[in-house]
Amino acid sequence: MNARDEFVLRLATKRGAKLRLSDSGYAELLLAVQEDPTKFMEDASDEAFLCIAQALRRYNESRSKDEFLDDADFMRERKRRLERMRQDCAQALELDPGCTDALLLEAIAQDSDLDALLDRLLEVEREASEKDGPLQAAGSGDAWDDVMVRPRLRVQATISRTCLDTGRFRMADAVGQSLIALSHSDHLGARHTCALALARLEDEEAFDALDAKFSRRGDCWLQLSRVILLFKLGRMAAARRALRGFRGLCEGGIYALLRPVMVDTYMPDRPQCDPYSFEEATVAIHEADPIIVDVPDLPQWVENQPDMREAAMSFAQRMGFDW
Amino acid sequence: MSFDPNKEDYQRLGLRFAASLDGQDPQNVARSFASFGRTFARDRDSLPQTDQDRAFHLVAVAATTIDYELPFADDVRAKQLIRKGHQLLDEALQLDPTNVDAQRMKAAADIPSFEGYYDFLLDGVDSAREKSFKAAGQAAEAEPHGERARLARELALRPYLRWLSTLASKAIICGHNRQALATCQKVFELDPQDQADARFTAAIAYAKLEDEQGLEGLRRFGRKQTGLRSHDGDDAWLQIARISIAYKRHDLSTAESQLRALLGSYPFAAEAIVSQRELPDGVFARLAVPAFSEDELILAISECTVLIQEGRDRAGRGALGSWLIQAAHRIDPAGASRGLEQDSADNPKGGLSR
Repeated sequence: MNARDEFVLRLATKRGAKLRLSDSGYAELLLAVQEDPTKFMEDASDEAFLCIAQALRRYNESRSKDEFLDDADFMRERKRRLERMRQDCAQALELDPGCTDALLLEAIAQDSDLDALLDRLLEVEREASEKDGPLQAAGSGDAWDDVMVRPRLRVQATISRTCLDTGRFRMADAVGQSLIALSHSDHLGARHTCALALARLEDEEAFDALDAKFSRRGDCWLQLSRVILLFKLGRMAAARRALRGFRGLCEGGIYALLRPVMVDTYMPDRPQCDPYSFEEATVAIHEADPIIVDVPDLPQWVENQPDMREAAMSFAQRMGFDW
Repeated sequence: MSFDPNKEDYQRLGLRFAASLDGQDPQNVARSFASFGRTFARDRDSLPQTDQDRAFHLVAVAATTIDYELPFADDVRAKQLIRKGHQLLDEALQLDPTNVDAQRMKAAADIPSFEGYYDFLLDGVDSAREKSFKAAGQAAEAEPHGERARLARELALRPYLRWLSTLASKAIICGHNRQALATCQKVFELDPQDQADARFTAAIAYAKLEDEQGLEGLRRFGRKQTGLRSHDGDDAWLQIARISIAYKRHDLSTAESQLRALLGSYPFAAEAIVSQRELPDGVFARLAVPAFSEDELILAISECTVLIQEGRDRAGRGALGSWLIQAAHRIDPAGASRGLEQDSADNPKGGLSR
């Protein structure tokens, strides 16, 4: 979540709506807001959003030294960081009790068990829906274009991922698909969660429809999900082709699959990664973990396919990673 | 009913013995038959039998050794039992190289990976089918009519049923849930009474695929099979599958009322739900335990591990697993606490209650 950009956009949108500006007038307003957003703050909801933007910046900055910490220090640091996030959310909520992003981040920062998180997120969405009505696409046909709606879309995306994490694959897909229907641009990557869920449900038809909906552009999640889907369906020749495709498109993908690493809780959404980058593969494989455990021999099968182990090892060597 | 190897051994020899009495006067037949049970127990070798029958007997002993004795043995004894099991299976295959039970059981020990064993079963399914149907054909020549003919055919086809049932259950462990269902369908076609209880495996597969309609269809099918079980009511596999689907729908109140029903239909159920023991699968077939017994629930929970342990969870019990433990504590606090004690007790092998 790029909170600063969104903060600017929120302020400009609110001010622009009041001033009924032309397109060029709005463009000028936007530049002015970018220059100094605080000048355009109007009410407590803006203050709450600023508070959240600052909290996120602080949170992300505090993570920069994580890789140098040992496990115990990391856990201590993580606990402290989540505590701070909860405090910041509480402060934002004092300013604006309906601040959806604060409610979302607070729920995540509780670090509670995932069923409790899901309950809380569903409650947040229910309350938002009672207050502002059901989610619907903006005039443009894409809900993402309405910056004021984005926090609720983030809640939906988190619900979908939490469903996946708790083994609720049909629900993960249903929530993800409804999010895609609201926002075709799918900035939050609901399609990634859907792809994983449909692979796990061995639903080839729906998987293919999802792929077609996004013009078969593909990404690490989709490639990986296809390998898993075909492996599950026992179509081994096709699974091997899909695996070779994944290796070809994503350098380091096989390494990421064979040497999965822990990825910390998303706050609130998945990190931005370049398409088919090693980072994207790492994140996709982390998200796929609840599905990969369902095919326990998949990693071994991957490793036994021609050239796969070599590809992973040479990537590790090039990057200076352990094998 | 699952497959009890010793009962099947008895049935095979009983059939053979009955055939040997054909043509004798009825009084003599009745007298001979009266002593069959005792002879079977004490002097089995004196009964008429073929090499196939002898091989099956060795399989039955191996099954008893591996499936029923090994889980309760200490380490020293376990090694002996494993060696004995292998020897028995080797001998069985020497007597009858076409014995598909022995082939399947040997491979279970020889192939270390899930997927490898699954592939073995998948590759061998046609051959197992062919051998079993050939045996059924031979049985039909020997016993063309009546109740004996029916039993002879049934016994001849059982090794194939077991092959398919094992294939279905291993498919689930490997994550091939649609293939598991397709395999169960083959079992139902061959044996509409589902003596193999493949519907238990199908229930897990439907839950894995979150196919509620499929599961309800299976439930209707299962209700027609109750004649084979001691009393009516949904078996534990079906009940856990339904709980799992309600949980996955996030309909936790339905899941909890279904759990309440499960706890009401099996003795000491809260203990079993909380301790969630994982047992090795029977190598011959699913262990034969009384319907609706505590042991049956323990077996069902163990097989449902693939449902229970799914999802991220800090305690390592899986999302549904953790929920089940909490819900069991709400419904039956005393039973659940006893389960917790069992769980933490020094019981490395687990095993059934017996």
